Amino acid sequence: MKNRILIHQGKLLSRVIKSANLGNGSTWPGHLALQFNKNFIKDILKNSKTIVIFVIGTNGKTTTTSLIAHILQQAGKKVIQNSSGANLLNGIASTLLLNTSESEQIAADYIIFEIDESTFPLACQEITPDVIIMLNLFRDQLDRYGEINTIALKWQEALAALPKDTQLILNADDPQIAYLGKKSPLNELYFGVDEKGRKTPLIDHASDSTYCPNCGEKLKYTKKYYSHLGVWSCPSCQLVRPTHVKTSSFFYPLDGMYNRYNTNAATLLCSSLGVPDEIVKNSLGSFKPVFGRQEKITFEGKNIEIILAKNPAGMDQSIEAIMEKNASNLLLLLNDRIADGHDVSWIWDIDIENLLTLPKITLSLSGDRAYDLALRFKYAEADLSTLTISDDLVTAIKGAVLATPQNETLYILATYTAMLDARKILTGKKIL
Amino acid sequence: MNNLSLTIGWLYPDLMSTYGDNGNILSLQKRLEWRKINATISPLSIGSKPQDLLSCDLIFMGGAQDKQQTIVSNDFKNGKAETLSEMIENNITGLYICGAYQFLGKYYKEADGTIIDGMGILDLYTENPGTKTPRLIGNVALQTTIFQKELIIVGFENHGGRTYLGEKVHALGNVIKGYGNNGKDGTEGAMYKNTIGSYMHGPLLPKNPQLTDYLLGKALETKYKEKIELSSLDDSIEERAHEVIVRKLRSGV
Repeated sequence: MKNRILIHQGKLLSRVIKSANLGNGSTWPGHLALQFNKNFIKDILKNSKTIVIFVIGTNGKTTTTSLIAHILQQAGKKVIQNSSGANLLNGIASTLLLNTSESEQIAADYIIFEIDESTFPLACQEITPDVIIMLNLFRDQLDRYGEINTIALKWQEALAALPKDTQLILNADDPQIAYLGKKSPLNELYFGVDEKGRKTPLIDHASDSTYCPNCGEKLKYTKKYYSHLGVWSCPSCQLVRPTHVKTSSFFYPLDGMYNRYNTNAATLLCSSLGVPDEIVKNSLGSFKPVFGRQEKITFEGKNIEIILAKNPAGMDQSIEAIMEKNASNLLLLLNDRIADGHDVSWIWDIDIENLLTLPKITLSLSGDRAYDLALRFKYAEADLSTLTISDDLVTAIKGAVLATPQNETLYILATYTAMLDARKILTGKKIL
Repeated sequence: MNNLSLTIGWLYPDLMSTYGDNGNILSLQKRLEWRKINATISPLSIGSKPQDLLSCDLIFMGGAQDKQQTIVSNDFKNGKAETLSEMIENNITGLYICGAYQFLGKYYKEADGTIIDGMGILDLYTENPGTKTPRLIGNVALQTTIFQKELIIVGFENHGGRTYLGEKVHALGNVIKGYGNNGKDGTEGAMYKNTIGSYMHGPLLPKNPQLTDYLLGKALETKYKEKIELSSLDDSIEERAHEVIVRKLRSGV
């Protein structure tokens, strides 16, 4: 009875929030439901036959979740997913609430939750997932999330308490993630990529997990892809990258190696759920990027692509992706608000020097910390006279659009809140 | 004087580099090169020898996660701790951030009460009051007089340990905004001879070019045994980035 009222009231509240333009109503209903019944999530899922999929990792959650949802929908399944800004417990509760009838029936075959790194252990106490995808673990907002070793340890503890038939889909190329598979008694399947390794930089600084997660010895890599991802082995305790790894999909709808990882994770999962190859293949062909993840927009007759880049690994990979496209117009946006992380020191861990090797590049910098970006470029020995710096976002976007030739693309690489702001300016719509 | 050069020893770049420490190295290197002074970066990680340390004119060491710090601590036991101690006593210039700063002190008491010996080079100690006490995190600005004039240094701090200074060292400066060494006594960092320890990353040097030049000047002076005047550089972008933080802190954001 109680939950029925919560569902009813929650749906009402969500409609009020949306119609009053106070937001998209994806967290408050769940927040209140949990206030009145802390077992709300458990209660709703108790008698459900819906298969629950968790997607966790530092980078790629939103894209991977959307890929899976799209493939399963193309396979004729009814799928529910939380929106990317709703990846804490209140967002999970809201997603459930809004998709449950007042007779407490969930109207879906699959429910996919992308979950914040630090919320994952809590989420496992509320929900018993059937499948967990672990994408990667990079340093991200150390002021908010803390050290990655600590996160990995908490994940390991969370996995130990789950039923033995839980399916894990793990990144074999991330030593810390692969090690979680070795340590857990659950079923594992592995994905990775098979590409040309890149040469190791002269001074290998700021890698997170190039030391063995088991014994602490420095890992050997026969191939290094990016950050600590690659084909690795431990010379001391013999821990090695798993051998049965899915490293390819039929087609990659998004640019960049990081998206090949996301795609391989999604297709491995869907195949393991029995989706036929033909449907997987066709779905990849019809996939459209999610907002701010290589999203293409036309503005004042110019082609624009917005790419979210919120930590060193993400930014390095986004830079590589646009270099594959021979980008020549780039606007970089750095904000330091709560959702971005107040600490911007990570920009010094990006291989920005790489960008400066492009034969022709018009660079503009903006955001709350535009001058920190400018300093980063100065110390990378960029030609400062060719940089446009403005801490006013509207001016920066208009200038960069104007400077972009008609048949070329302006790439906007932005941290989270800067991406939302830029998108709002370009589309006239607010998303969150 | 022509053909000046400095060798900068970067200790454990693969392990002690959590908060953009690459920026500190780039600042030191580029500000030498822009003045036509030759800069060599010498990365010294696990397995390097005490002699490798001795060939350096300036030492930099950054912060790390706990696990990495234990690996480094063990590696230091092979004679390197003694060598570094002698170098610091002999006025070799160095900058030590966060974990490295704590490491130079007498001991570090972990959240669970375990005491880890430091190198005992600097008269200071660090205690972590436990996991229930919040970490000290945020932008920080301090006032210092080490450059014979009042100057504001800005950075970002993120530490669980609280550091307390003894009599043989003095603070890098007094906190205007932020927490500093322990959030109580208003001090930040420590100075001893030509060695500076601090919790400030951000990284510290790019936005504080006077501090970078102070370190470079001291290192050149020790190496060439005479005061060497550094030519001035255009620091307008550094000043703008510095100003953004000062403004942010003044407005209470």
